[in-house]
Amino acid sequence: MAALLIGFGEWWLYIGLGVAAIFLTIGIDRIDEDARGAYIFRPLLIPGVMLIWPLVLWRWFKLETNSESWRKRYQPQRASHARLWLVFGIIIPVTFLAAMSFRQTPPADFEPQRLSEAGETAQ
Amino acid sequence: MSVKYIPVQWNNNKWFYDAVMIVCAAAYLLTFLQLAPPVLDHARPVTPDILNARAFGTCAFLMLSVILAIGPLARLDRRFLPLLYNRRHFGVLTAFVALTHATFILNWYYAFSPTPKLEALLGANVSYGQWLGFPFEIFGVFALLVLFVLAATSHDFWLKFLSPPIWKGLHFLIYPAYAAIVAHVALGSLQDRGDLTTAGIVGFAAFTVSALHLAAAFYEWRYGDPMAQADPWAEVCAASDIEEGFAKVVRLTNNERVAIFRMDGKLSAISNACAHQNGPLGEGRIVDGCVTCPWHGFQYRVTDGCSPAPFTEKVPTYNLRVENGVVSVNRTANPPGTYVEPVPVREIKT
Repeated sequence: MAALLIGFGEWWLYIGLGVAAIFLTIGIDRIDEDARGAYIFRPLLIPGVMLIWPLVLWRWFKLETNSESWRKRYQPQRASHARLWLVFGIIIPVTFLAAMSFRQTPPADFEPQRLSEAGETAQ
Repeated sequence: MSVKYIPVQWNNNKWFYDAVMIVCAAAYLLTFLQLAPPVLDHARPVTPDILNARAFGTCAFLMLSVILAIGPLARLDRRFLPLLYNRRHFGVLTAFVALTHATFILNWYYAFSPTPKLEALLGANVSYGQWLGFPFEIFGVFALLVLFVLAATSHDFWLKFLSPPIWKGLHFLIYPAYAAIVAHVALGSLQDRGDLTTAGIVGFAAFTVSALHLAAAFYEWRYGDPMAQADPWAEVCAASDIEEGFAKVVRLTNNERVAIFRMDGKLSAISNACAHQNGPLGEGRIVDGCVTCPWHGFQYRVTDGCSPAPFTEKVPTYNLRVENGVVSVNRTANPPGTYVEPVPVREIKT
C-alpha cells in the first residue's frame, strides 16, 4: 500500500512537470499580460504547478475561454472566516486533550529483566 | 504590486521583517540545542540527530502557531497589522524548517530500512484502528505536504491566476494542517509522560491559537453589519458617520462588502476586497489621493477603483445616493474600473 501511494505521488509529480513545461512556456503568456517578457520568476512556479496541476489546467481553461464572471474575483472568503475560526478553535483543544488522555504511566515498581546473556563488549 | 513579475518583491520593510524572523528562528534553534537536554528532562540520552529533529520540529510548530495567531490578532487589534504584511515569507521559511525536521527523522529512524525510506515511513506502522500507538507520522506527512503546497503557491502570480477567493480557499488548508500537527505531536512525542516541558509549551501554544480564533470569530459576529433588504438601494449609514480620509464598511445581502470613502468632502464606494489578496480596503485610509490597502499597501483611486499607473489592478465600484443625510448603496456592483461621480457631502441636509 505504501509503495502504491508513493508510486502514485511520483506519477502525479511527473505529470505536473509536463504540465509545468507547457504552461510556463506557452500558457502563461496567453493568460497573464504581467508575465509577458518576465522569465526569471517562472522557475519559482514549477513546484506549485507540479503539486496542483489539475487546478492549474482548470484555471488555464477558464481564463483562455474567458468564462469566469469578474464578480467572483471580488467575493472574498472572509464571509466564512467566522465559522471556520469557530470550528478550528474547538478542534485544536479537543485534539490536544484527547491525545493527552491516551497517555499511559508505566508501573513505578517495574524493573526490566534481561532475557539473554549480555553480548561481548567490542574491543 | 503588478506590472511585471519578479521572483521576490523586496523592499526595506520586507528585508527587516525577514531578518527578524530568521534571527528569531536561529536563536530558538541554538537555544534548544544548548538547553534542551537538561530542561526537557530527557530520561534517556538522545543522539544529536534526534535532538536536531526535535529542535526543528518544535521550531516549525511554534512558527506556525505565530503565523496563525497573526490573523485573529490583526482582526482584534489593528496594531498587529504590520505582522500580517509579510506573512507569506514566514510561511515559506516554516515549510523549510519543517522539511529539515522530516529529513532528520527519515535519515535517523529509517536509515537502514530494507525498503526506501518514505515507503518505510508509511508502512512501518499501519495500526490506524487504534488511538494508542496510532501512526502519528501520517499527520506530519499531511501537514508537510500542505505547507509545501502553500509555500509553492505563495508568489503573487498565483493570487492573480487562481483569483483571490480560490487562492484564499486553497490556503485555508493551513487550518487542517495545524490541527494535524497538533495531533502529530500529541499522539507522538507527547505520549512520553516524562516530558512535561514540551507538553506544556505545545499545549500553551495550541490553546492560545485556539482562544484567539474563538475571540476573532466572536468579534466578527458581534460587529458584522448584515443588511437584509430586497430594494436595489440599501440604506447603510448616515453621511456624518464617515470620517474624512477614511471609510465605512457595509455588508450587502449577497455578502459583498462595500467600502464607502469620504475624500475632499465627497463620497465614493468601491469593493472592500483588494484585487491582490482580498484585503479589507475599507480598513485602510486615503494616502496621496488613493485608498491604501492595510495589508500590503496596494492603492486604488476611489472614483474608478483603478490603481494609479503603471499598475493595472482594478476593483468594482458602486453607485451611491444620499437622501436626508442617509447614504444608500446600489447593490449591483459596477465592473472593475468603472468611473462613478463622487457624491458631495455638502449637499446633504441633516
